[in-house]
Amino acid sequence: MQFENPFGVEELIELGGSAAVVLLMIGAAAVLGFRMSARIDDGELARLADSEGLRVDHAVIAKNGRTALARLSDGRVMVARVMGADVSARFAAANIVKLDVKSHRLNATFADTGFPPLKMRLDEHPAWLSELGGGGGSST
Amino acid sequence: MTPPQAPFEIPPIITYAVPGFVLLILIEMIVVRFTKKGRYEYRDSATSLAMGFGNRVFGIAFGGLAVLAYFWVYEYRLFNLGWTWPVMVACFFAEDLAYYWFHRIAHERRWFWASHIVHHSSQHYNLTTALRQTWTGTLGLSFIFWLPLVYIGFPPLMVLMFSSISLVYQFWIHTETIKRMGPFEWVMNTPSHHRVHHAIDARYLDANYAGVLIIWDRLFGTFVPEDDRAPIHYGIVSQLGTFNPFRVAFHEWVGIWRDVTHAKSLKEVLGYTFGPPGWSPDGSRKTSASIKAEWAKKQQQTPPPPEAVAAE
Repeated sequence: MQFENPFGVEELIELGGSAAVVLLMIGAAAVLGFRMSARIDDGELARLADSEGLRVDHAVIAKNGRTALARLSDGRVMVARVMGADVSARFAAANIVKLDVKSHRLNATFADTGFPPLKMRLDEHPAWLSELGGGGGSST
Repeated sequence: MTPPQAPFEIPPIITYAVPGFVLLILIEMIVVRFTKKGRYEYRDSATSLAMGFGNRVFGIAFGGLAVLAYFWVYEYRLFNLGWTWPVMVACFFAEDLAYYWFHRIAHERRWFWASHIVHHSSQHYNLTTALRQTWTGTLGLSFIFWLPLVYIGFPPLMVLMFSSISLVYQFWIHTETIKRMGPFEWVMNTPSHHRVHHAIDARYLDANYAGVLIIWDRLFGTFVPEDDRAPIHYGIVSQLGTFNPFRVAFHEWVGIWRDVTHAKSLKEVLGYTFGPPGWSPDGSRKTSASIKAEWAKKQQQTPPPPEAVAAE
């Protein structure tokens, strides 16, 4: 059986045209001002926790309000990240979160590969974070 | 035996529709900008459009496999239905029914969900979301749901034609700018019905799988009307938290691989691969059934609002 390369000139022209149209539409969205960014604050974290029937015990929110890490009332961890005009939250058992805190920089990775690593700058290094790194979660 | 020829030349329906897609997206952006009905975010739209572009790349590379399968099965067809108007009408309904079951199973079985999840991964809902399409549909064998149609005897090109028409129809229903459409909603899939389908709110999970006709959901008990009183939240239950197209395209497949390689028995392998999304041996993860059950329990425990009590 012989396999032919499916990408002929016609297909490449079509893909080139599609790429140009995609860029045009992204440009139009940017020009029209669709560069909204939600901000995470304590209220937003409380709302997200409440959607799971939980409350926030401790939280750190990045200075720019774009990412946050919280310890919830059931011992689990909630990570939140701004996704355009919305906030994306993920709830995880503390033991699947790997924390790396070095000189006011927090890096959290998840055994659940679906959620990308969380990186944020911290003004302070609260005790619960060390506890999470040392006991509830794992820290390097 | 060679398949019967179509009595007319079938145009490349989706290709012809693309300029319309572009125009409608630009119009929707302007409407949203000035009326604030709906939401756009350029990075979200960029991801959706990149997924659409990738879908075309993968379609060119692998789409031929599905077409080959259609023609191979057609060799063993039960009836010679040919290209007549009554057969075309029957094929329209049969294709839409096949789409309903494909779509329903794509939500209920993780193997197919791994491809379809891409389409639901945006937390925004606008016309660019319609183009946020899978890259792995053909390789994930999604086309098998249409094979019974060609086995019955509908010509493969007829089935492909109605599949394309269905896909084009479903583009315009991905919008928040159109609210309700009166009696049209009784029979046809509409923006309102499809917003419910994209919602992650517990009461809306696993609903409104229709392609063109909403009648299948009404018939099979999966129809849920939109409730205007509460805003809808879009996306997937475990939000992705990324605009990276490659993560969007493959994350669920990676998840299946990770789970299967840690499985302790064949039963677990099958459960992780073909069970409902969120299935786990100990039930520690959430499935849409468990989320809905939890929500229903909470509803029973929550006292009705005062005005509802007064009205009783």
